[in-house]
Amino acid sequence: MTTTAPPDQASKQQLLEWYRTMRTIREFEERLHKEFATGEIPGFVHLYAGEEAIATGVITHLRLDDYIASTHRGHGHAIAKGCDVRAMMAEIYGKRDGLCHGKGGSMHIADVDKGMLGANGIVGGGPPMICGVGLSAKIRGTDQVGVSFTGDGGSNQGTFLESLNLAAVWHLPCVYVVENNGYAEATSVKYHAGAGTDIVKRADGFGLPGVVVDGHDFFAVYEAAGEAIARARGGGGPSLLECRVNRYYGHFEGDQQTYRAPGEVEELRRTRDCLDLFARQVTSAGLVDAEELRRVDEEVARLIDDAVADAKAAPEPDPSDLLTDVYVKY
Amino acid sequence: MATVSVGVVANPASGRDVRRLVTGASVFDNAEKGAMVHRLMAGLGAAGVDRVIMMPAGSGVSQSLQRHLGGRTGHLAAQRLPELEVLDMVVHEDERDSAAAVRAMAERRVAAIVVLGGDGTHRVVAAHCGDIPLCALSTGTNNAFPELREATVAGVAAGLVATARLEGDGLLRREKQLQVNVNGDVRRDSALVDVAVTTERWVGARALWRADTISEAVVTFASPGAVGLSAVAAAVSPVPRAARHGLHLRLAPPERAPTVVTVPFAPGLVTEVGVVQARRVEPGQAVPLTPLAGCLALDGERELELGPSDRVTVRLAEGPLVIDVDAVLARAARQRALNGSARPRAPTL
Repeated sequence: MTTTAPPDQASKQQLLEWYRTMRTIREFEERLHKEFATGEIPGFVHLYAGEEAIATGVITHLRLDDYIASTHRGHGHAIAKGCDVRAMMAEIYGKRDGLCHGKGGSMHIADVDKGMLGANGIVGGGPPMICGVGLSAKIRGTDQVGVSFTGDGGSNQGTFLESLNLAAVWHLPCVYVVENNGYAEATSVKYHAGAGTDIVKRADGFGLPGVVVDGHDFFAVYEAAGEAIARARGGGGPSLLECRVNRYYGHFEGDQQTYRAPGEVEELRRTRDCLDLFARQVTSAGLVDAEELRRVDEEVARLIDDAVADAKAAPEPDPSDLLTDVYVKY
Repeated sequence: MATVSVGVVANPASGRDVRRLVTGASVFDNAEKGAMVHRLMAGLGAAGVDRVIMMPAGSGVSQSLQRHLGGRTGHLAAQRLPELEVLDMVVHEDERDSAAAVRAMAERRVAAIVVLGGDGTHRVVAAHCGDIPLCALSTGTNNAFPELREATVAGVAAGLVATARLEGDGLLRREKQLQVNVNGDVRRDSALVDVAVTTERWVGARALWRADTISEAVVTFASPGAVGLSAVAAAVSPVPRAARHGLHLRLAPPERAPTVVTVPFAPGLVTEVGVVQARRVEPGQAVPLTPLAGCLALDGERELELGPSDRVTVRLAEGPLVIDVDAVLARAARQRALNGSARPRAPTL
């Protein structure tokens, strides 16, 4: 069995970096929530707030040359994989300076150079791509790893189940992360998952190991994901990681969320906040000062302010850009 | 005649921790837990129990149980089953559920509680059940406390205890418990098998499987047939479950320990563990643990993150009453308790 070092020895700098990533995602999403309401942002936006510990705890184990495939709720994964936050914001505003020159928007944000194969408008669209990543790494004999993210709803898609099968049959270096946030759009996991709410059971059917962790606890995600990714990298084969989590906003911005109990989100924000938990853990362990975390908060707030201002000021794509970057030349 | 009720706690979350990745531990399927409850009910019904009061169990346990109950045709339909009542309670999907369910069962005066889970589930139930007899069934992977048993048989035994149809004593065992006191808060927590100090700083993925991170442990019994810390202790000095004392171990990495034992530390993981010292712990004795920057693990799961200034003591105390299934069934045979039926018979099979 391959294992990774436990996070006990993480330096202060490393702890602050993890916090910064989670805070950047949170701030990015909270700001988008406000800005979307003004009507300036084209297209649909699905926010990741509440789930930051997963993207951060998983992707911190990946190298630049590893790949991820994301979901429609993809901003957090992109930020954690190192995509430029300003270019992401400009992309979501549909601007020429955007990461995909404004043609992708929120749901198709991608940066192949960073190993981010894209947010994906197709629910369950990421896992087959990650099988491709795994097969490519295996054939070329590299030790790269592919990680796909899927929601609880996406785990019911044939593409997800077929991918688990293919990865098992070909023994691919892939990790399938399920972010079980309790709802497939507006349908509770209690009503949409036939075999009960344990998405991890999907792994059993294909002979993959599957584990469940608390998706609010960065260190729980970090530890389990570290083992799964090290296993894949070391030739141990694919696995499934189910992270139980909650989203703070609706399925999309504008979702009235009539399917949620009154006060549900307020209670979650009060009791199930990965940033609060992380801050409490590292400060009570005496590893980081509250003041140091506050400084990160301020720096991140400035970064997001600048990103929004730049995005608003950036030029729109020109009609002459219409046919560029549409097709890839091989 | 008063209605005889038995509580059932089937933990849907047991058996899915990180050991599936790191040690190759087994998966205990929730559909099987539901099937176990069905078979348990057959045993309870045969012994004359009227009602099962069950904790709500999602994640496929209830669905499986309902499928089995709904599929009772032919010869199965003739078997008497207790009525099933699922507690109407708020579900958090964490250990608060087991605690709340057991409190509700105690209020409803259940005559016994059957627990389907691992050491962790039993730990939570034992902390709240008082002297209600437990029937401890293993569904986890690393369990020293509950037994791996056919649920039908356990159901018959639990039912015979619940309906008080047997005479004499010796049917229940008084187990031991470790009461954990953190900074003077005695209600903090408890364990049934072991309390360990680990240098792993974060609760993280919870399972305790890196033996070389453990500096100290207290065990209630040291069984050579167990997996984990109880087995480590047994390799040094076995302590029978029925003995009143426990054991306090100081551990160190094998290269720095005078004694090195090779034990199954987790399912699929046999490893060397260095033992520096093993001392008896007497009933009522409070053992101070050396504070470290790390975690306190209870029954194999990291539960509390500690700093060097935290003060932890562990006291060996009396634990829950547990039904001795073999003793009950042997007594039932001697007293011919299962010859014929004490209840109106269901149609002949």
